[in-house]
Amino acid sequence: MADAPTPVMFAIVTTKKDSVTGGMAPIFIAEDDQERERIAMWISRITNAIVHDLHNGTLILTVNQSS
Amino acid sequence: MSSSGPINWTPMIVGFTAGFLSRLISLRSGRTHYPGYPSGYISQIALAVIAAMIGSSILTSLLGKEFTAATFLTLAATQFRDVRNTERKTLEQEEHLILVSRGAGYIEGIAITYEARNYLAMLVALLGSALTLAGGLTVGIIGSVIVLIISEIFMSGKRVGDLIDVQPAKISFDKGSLLYAGDVMMMEVGLPHSRERYEKEGLAVVLTPKDERGQAILWNVSQRQAITYEAAAAVGAQKDIGYPEQSPLCRMEMPAGTGKAGLSILPVDRDMAKLIKAIKNTPVLESDKWSKMSSPVLKRKEM
Repeated sequence: MADAPTPVMFAIVTTKKDSVTGGMAPIFIAEDDQERERIAMWISRITNAIVHDLHNGTLILTVNQSS
Repeated sequence: MSSSGPINWTPMIVGFTAGFLSRLISLRSGRTHYPGYPSGYISQIALAVIAAMIGSSILTSLLGKEFTAATFLTLAATQFRDVRNTERKTLEQEEHLILVSRGAGYIEGIAITYEARNYLAMLVALLGSALTLAGGLTVGIIGSVIVLIISEIFMSGKRVGDLIDVQPAKISFDKGSLLYAGDVMMMEVGLPHSRERYEKEGLAVVLTPKDERGQAILWNVSQRQAITYEAAAAVGAQKDIGYPEQSPLCRMEMPAGTGKAGLSILPVDRDMAKLIKAIKNTPVLESDKWSKMSSPVLKRKEM
């Protein structure tokens, strides 16, 4: 189970809405960095998703699908 | 029954004692954290009694020309195949209930060992009773002790510490959010709050293989999961559902592929010595034994 995780995109949180388009995951647009981090943390705690920082103003949340 | 004459109980008693002891010696739970509860011990001891009895009584029944009894005993011996399935099922059920899982490889290893241990108890009991029959009580007892010692040496597998050097390392963050254990990149931690926790409370070690075998076992994901499990079982892990980034991890140094691995953990008990000891004591898994031949990285000389 934990041996080989397969991450699946779950949600996107961004302050630069122009840098993200479409896709399978919902996009949450935040006013500033602080709000972005807060939204990401909340979604992570609620859904057990892992937060990754792309360092372009966007955070992505992934969940590990059990294969 | 009357045709078999008086029964010589001595070989049976010596063989039974030796076989039962052989099983009891290996029933210390410290290493694999299993069995960890009284009912687990009871079922193991019950099986040990049966195994030792089968092994010790087979020669006596053959000598007494009780071939039916001997055949039944071999039939009973085949029932021990189920031991492996029972162990595996129990541990797999537990896998969903614990936050840091053992991994399929470790479970299989434990299951195989438990099955083999019962057969070993049978063999030791058989040899003990044979020696007593052949040479009398004193030879039987001395011989049984020697057989016990040899079987213990034969059955105790290698530990990770024999093949891998474990050194403490520093936790640091590169490029803002990449978690490093020493030189080994572990994962991306996106939340500033979690990064602070790692910097303040985290522990990290770097595992360097001593030889080719060590490198081969590190490349096995199951082995690293077993190491992670043992580490978390020793110092605890600050983790709960909803905190995936706080899972303890053991990852190879990639993309360099040097064969080194790093381990990062947010411990409850911040004790580096305890962590290193637990990692060194992790058993080397059976499933890695073939991989010495098959890992392409082993062909590289600079490790």
